[in-house]
Amino acid sequence: MDWHQLWIIASAPDNVPIVAMLFLVPIFTWMGIRQARANDRLIVRLEGDTKLAKTHHRKVEPWRPGWAKELHVWPYLVRIEFLVTLIVTVILFVWSITLNAPLEEPSNPNLTMNPSKAPWYFLGLQEMLVYFDPWIAGVVMPSLIMIGLMVFPYVDSSPFGNGYYTIKQRRFALGMFGWGFLMWIMLIFIGTFIRGPGWIWFWPGQTWDHNTVVFDKNVDLHDFIATSAIGKFLHLGFLQSTAGKAIFGGLVVGGFYILGGLFFHWLMTRGGLDRFDGSLPLTRRLWLWITTKDKFESKLLARTSLLQYLTFQFFAVSVLLALPVKLILRLALTIKYVWVTPYFNI
Amino acid sequence: MADSPEATDALAKREPDVPAHDPIVSWSTSGIMLVCALLLTFSLAWSLYDEAIGQRPWKKMQREFVARYDRYLNSIRERASQGEDEIKNSPEYQALDAEANAAKEKVQPDIDQINAEVKKIQPKLDAVTEPFQNQRGKLTVINYNIEQASGGAKEKYRKQAEDKRNETVAVEMPDDDAAGKIKVVKMDYATLEKTYNDLREQKAKLLGDKAEKSRESQELAKKRDDYLKNHLTILTPSQIDGVKKGLKSFDYSILGHQVSVNDYNIADRCEVCHLGVRSPLTIRAEDMAPGGPGKDPDDLARAFVSHPNKELLDIHKPDRFGCSSCHWGNGRATTGEEKAHGLNKFWLWPMFEKENTEAGCQQCHSKDRVTQGAETLNLGRDLFSQRGCMGCHRYEGFDRETDALTNARQTISQLEDQITANDKLGRQDAAAAAEATDDTDARRLLAHAESLRVTNSLLAARIDQMNLQSKYLMQDQKKVGPNLKDVRLKLAKEWIPEWLKDPQAFRPGTKMPTFWRFSVDKNGDHEIKAISAYLWQTGFDGKTPDQQKGDVNNGKDLFETKGCLACHSLGAEDNKVGGTFAANLSKVGEKANFEYIVRWIHNPRERWAPYCPKHKRDLTADDYKQAGKPFVFDTELHSKCPIDGAELQVQNMTVMPNFRLSETEARDLATYLFSLSSRPGREATAFMDDPNLKEQGRQLIKQFGCAGCHEINGFEEEQRIGKELTVEGATPLERLDFATSTQDAEQGRDPLFKELFPDRKEKEWYTHKGFFEHKLADPSIYDKGKEKAPQDRLRMPKPYLTDEWRTALTTFLLGSVGTEGANVPKSLFYDPQDQRRQDIQNGWWLIKKYNCVGCHQVQVGQRSILMDLPQYSTPEGKDLLPPRLTSEGARVDPNWLLRFLHDPSLNGGQVPAATPAAQSNAPVGNAPQGGPQSGDKYPAQPGADRNGVRPYLKVRMPTFNFSPNELQTLVRFFMALSGQQEPYIKEQLDPLTEQDKLVAREMFTSGTPCLKCHITGEPAHDAKAIAPNFLLASERLKPEWTFRWLLDPSQISPGTAMPSGLFKRDGERWAVNLPKPPKDVADYHGDHARLLVRYMFLMSPDEQRRLLSASPAPPAAQPAAQNAHAPRRRLGSELGWFRAEKTERRNTVASLRSQRPLARAPN
Repeated sequence: MDWHQLWIIASAPDNVPIVAMLFLVPIFTWMGIRQARANDRLIVRLEGDTKLAKTHHRKVEPWRPGWAKELHVWPYLVRIEFLVTLIVTVILFVWSITLNAPLEEPSNPNLTMNPSKAPWYFLGLQEMLVYFDPWIAGVVMPSLIMIGLMVFPYVDSSPFGNGYYTIKQRRFALGMFGWGFLMWIMLIFIGTFIRGPGWIWFWPGQTWDHNTVVFDKNVDLHDFIATSAIGKFLHLGFLQSTAGKAIFGGLVVGGFYILGGLFFHWLMTRGGLDRFDGSLPLTRRLWLWITTKDKFESKLLARTSLLQYLTFQFFAVSVLLALPVKLILRLALTIKYVWVTPYFNI
Repeated sequence: MADSPEATDALAKREPDVPAHDPIVSWSTSGIMLVCALLLTFSLAWSLYDEAIGQRPWKKMQREFVARYDRYLNSIRERASQGEDEIKNSPEYQALDAEANAAKEKVQPDIDQINAEVKKIQPKLDAVTEPFQNQRGKLTVINYNIEQASGGAKEKYRKQAEDKRNETVAVEMPDDDAAGKIKVVKMDYATLEKTYNDLREQKAKLLGDKAEKSRESQELAKKRDDYLKNHLTILTPSQIDGVKKGLKSFDYSILGHQVSVNDYNIADRCEVCHLGVRSPLTIRAEDMAPGGPGKDPDDLARAFVSHPNKELLDIHKPDRFGCSSCHWGNGRATTGEEKAHGLNKFWLWPMFEKENTEAGCQQCHSKDRVTQGAETLNLGRDLFSQRGCMGCHRYEGFDRETDALTNARQTISQLEDQITANDKLGRQDAAAAAEATDDTDARRLLAHAESLRVTNSLLAARIDQMNLQSKYLMQDQKKVGPNLKDVRLKLAKEWIPEWLKDPQAFRPGTKMPTFWRFSVDKNGDHEIKAISAYLWQTGFDGKTPDQQKGDVNNGKDLFETKGCLACHSLGAEDNKVGGTFAANLSKVGEKANFEYIVRWIHNPRERWAPYCPKHKRDLTADDYKQAGKPFVFDTELHSKCPIDGAELQVQNMTVMPNFRLSETEARDLATYLFSLSSRPGREATAFMDDPNLKEQGRQLIKQFGCAGCHEINGFEEEQRIGKELTVEGATPLERLDFATSTQDAEQGRDPLFKELFPDRKEKEWYTHKGFFEHKLADPSIYDKGKEKAPQDRLRMPKPYLTDEWRTALTTFLLGSVGTEGANVPKSLFYDPQDQRRQDIQNGWWLIKKYNCVGCHQVQVGQRSILMDLPQYSTPEGKDLLPPRLTSEGARVDPNWLLRFLHDPSLNGGQVPAATPAAQSNAPVGNAPQGGPQSGDKYPAQPGADRNGVRPYLKVRMPTFNFSPNELQTLVRFFMALSGQQEPYIKEQLDPLTEQDKLVAREMFTSGTPCLKCHITGEPAHDAKAIAPNFLLASERLKPEWTFRWLLDPSQISPGTAMPSGLFKRDGERWAVNLPKPPKDVADYHGDHARLLVRYMFLMSPDEQRRLLSASPAPPAAQPAAQNAHAPRRRLGSELGWFRAEKTERRNTVASLRSQRPLARAPN
């Protein structure tokens, strides 16, 4: 374990936000989940007690006698916001005094630094360049992600969960967003801690040696298949022709979209494991989870319009599924492109 | 949140009830709020502190500086006032003071009177000035209106102007007669103007008179004050008080101490902390010690010192260059030492460490061979060329001859192409002209064809010039190492593998680096065998003529006196004597053949066989025979290939010059060298004759780049194998391959630490400096731990370098950054456009190439190797040193110098015996021609055993076989160094009348018996002479210089034997300094010294004989056997006499009249 290097990376003023994020993201996720679970418990209780639901005013806990019936923004919210302002200001003060801006000296026009890394918030994008064409990774994907984030509220057909944390009522939406967010953070983490000189993959603790040599031969999927033993046996050499590979890639990508769509369709109505009796063995519950639909989720799906449904499917398959699939193809199977055409490569 | 309309109504009216135990409402935030508020206050305070103090550490330093400097000034204040008093009390100062005061008093009455008159005029002028200026102003406005107006309006304004001129104004004039009274006078404009101008003129005249009258007294006062200023070693007390006063109002800021040069985008704030750099007083670290002046200095005290070289700062004024231009570092940063010195990771120009400071010079002075004052850098350059670095590494400017030769050859082939193309075009034109239907067209085409023919003839002339240049360049091309084609002739066969294994073991400190690969590679021993085999099998086959052993003692004497030690050394380690320019010769006997060494000493340039670059092989006697030519080759007449006339390499490519020794002397010298060691028994090396090994050897020689330094058969046109280093210092650090040492370098683990810097702290060496130092100390370091095939390993061998040398080379490399890498704009680079400074730099390349500084002092302050040898350290030894060349250009006629450098024997290429003046070589079976003496195997050389100017010196100026290019460069160098004009046109001297001759002759013989020391050409007399012949003077010297020399030789050449004070100032002329000069001399009213110069320059052999006969009786004639050409023995026996004379000479001027020989003339 190269602690010296880990310290160099972690202590770089550039990387302070990322290191902080390593702690802050779990903490806030945990806090959100905790709140959501409390709300979920409340929802169960209120659903079972209509009288209480009538008198209930405050969201965290059911109201109890002796408590204020209502809480005003002033001072009860504002004072907390003010406190946070103070704390954040102190943090910023101390940060700015102790760590100088990570500005470097005049650049040397004769030399590109190695590794040459984007600012931390773009590292995810930079890491994506490993898996996709620059055009896809740099333009198409970011656009899809941004449009997808904008579209999310409109493809949501659930009337629940507005203004309070809940898992139970927004299981699928939360899952999808959480998955996307986690993926993004992972890419940034990889970019910061894993990618060393030459953008080579260094496992944590491995020394970033400028002279490291790796053998990394990536092939396109059609070549991979055509040159494999099976491909040779089946005489699949035609896959390597221009038309062959375009058609083959199109079919694979089309198939991916269909399978991906089916997968999300299936996933949408799964609900939580907790809908089964906890006394059943886990394997049994898992089997039931896989094979049966959740009523609540099914209702939600039924409320969804076709346009909403297809829009969601497109973004989900194109981003949420394509990215991890391509990542695995590339890192584990050294597949470069799936679909090679004279105009674009995917 | 209301659930019903009732509740909503109630909401508007009631106050929220606040239960005491509500988890939110009853939660008090005041405690945490207080803590946060305190934290915020604290962090605000912290940020203010950081802004004001934390980010401005220099403030503290400035306060510290003021305190310490003030303390130091106080400590010297008393000494200064004592010093001032001392000077003021000195008789000189008193005299000056009295003189100044007297002059002042003398003119005081006049001055007083003038002052009184001015006092009278001034009130009148004051009175008239304002009314006049008012009127003038108004008139100017009216005039403008006239100019602008048109028609009738013009007239109106003219009228107005007229009225204004006639208008009278009242002027309150002081009354001359009644003091203090005012008289009102009415004046019109004309009167006003005249009065005003008259008064001003009067006043100006009076003031002019005053200045004229007081000038003398003011000049005297200034002289007195200057005397005080120049004699004070430190500042005057009043100056010190001034500095102290300045400290009181010290500017605690950045801008007050910033150097900013807008033109070059320099903003250096170094002096914000380094406050003493430009102090008028020289501040030393001890002066600023924290405990008070003279105590132990701390880091801060060391930061406050003055710049160590004020002269350098005068040339490179910080106001123009800043600091970071030379020193590097980040001139703008002020927040900390690391940042300001640019030692942080990303700064491209980290400050040079102290021992490498001169790297900064190299940035701008990269074209210099010698940069004044940069001794480390100069040493680095010397090493780079002399130790053979440039054999493998190209460095722009260093390999001048080879580069120029390549260029010349390219130019020739381009010109030849052009001629062919022109020929073709001409023929086409001619053909087209024949077909032309139009006369004009035909004429035009024919004219064009003709112009092409003329162009071709011009091009052919250029090719001729280029060919001549190639010849000269080939003549000047040298190799660092010996010619390995000679191995069979020169070396003991068995010694070669031993040497290759570890040259440093056989000859510590040799230029030949250690090829560490031989001990690392698995088959290293085999590689040595293969290389040895190739060299042995491709060497010249033949036999040098047999030689008998000579006289060891004479050989030793020759070795120690002829000047061999200027380049070569003898002895090992601490007993080493001599120069490091060339090899240590202690162990020659162990490795070399006696016969070869005799031949080599006799004439090192004599090549075994000429090399033809066109045929790419060494020519043989057969080649000459087939062409029907004698097997003779030399630089003068026989330098062309017998087959096709291409220029040949006819010399050994060595810088070792020809000492024009006789063969006997060469034998004696060789005998001496061979007496120092003898050949030990070695293992037989039969493998060296194995033809199978030869091819492997060829590959290895190619790989190791042996041909960079050596001439090797089959590798004559071999290119360099190393990286070009011209801009190596600018290579980004990331591109310097630290290989497996990268982590160690970054984290400060140093495998060579103990070896390199035993007295330093182990520290990070991931820097350019670290890379170069480690590479130089152990070139294999960046190969360690790498898995490589032998041929892929690093090839750089390990050179012998002392710590000082390594620092010098590192400095040189660090500064080699080119235009792009420099921290200085190109416009500030040192690129002299004037011929003089270019000539000086061009000359330095040669001075260093041939190691002229081994024998001569070329610059004041520079020491030659010979000067430091024990035999030249005694007073009499000093007189036997080769001449000082510090003012050579002013002294000698450039045309003479050219002739002398071409042939230092000055005998016009004559050979003692009647043998051809050519170097001829006798390969096997070809009996050499007989020399002048029986038993000699080699033809005697032109000018053998003869010193041209100073036969009395034992040390000999050798023949370097300079090409005309180099001769010219050297002459121009010496002329430029002495600031001489060119071209030099000899001054015409008035012819001498008989009377002049008579007077001069008497001067020559009466007071200053010049001919006692100067050579006259008479063998008996010359045996005693220790100064050059006057007959040489007219062609050798410059009259103006000779005149100055006669007046005061010791000023031109301190320590010369020529006496000073021969002439005394007599009004406007110089007269012979004799109490009772002969009558004719006394009656001659011209300048005696000038007459003597004319006499010397117009001297004829007849006149010299006449002079000689008129001289007092010469000392007892020496035995006839001793002649001027054997000065060695003579001088040895005469040293006692010489010393006695010297002592006496120094005593009095009266001793000049002594009858004994006293002095040497210009040398």
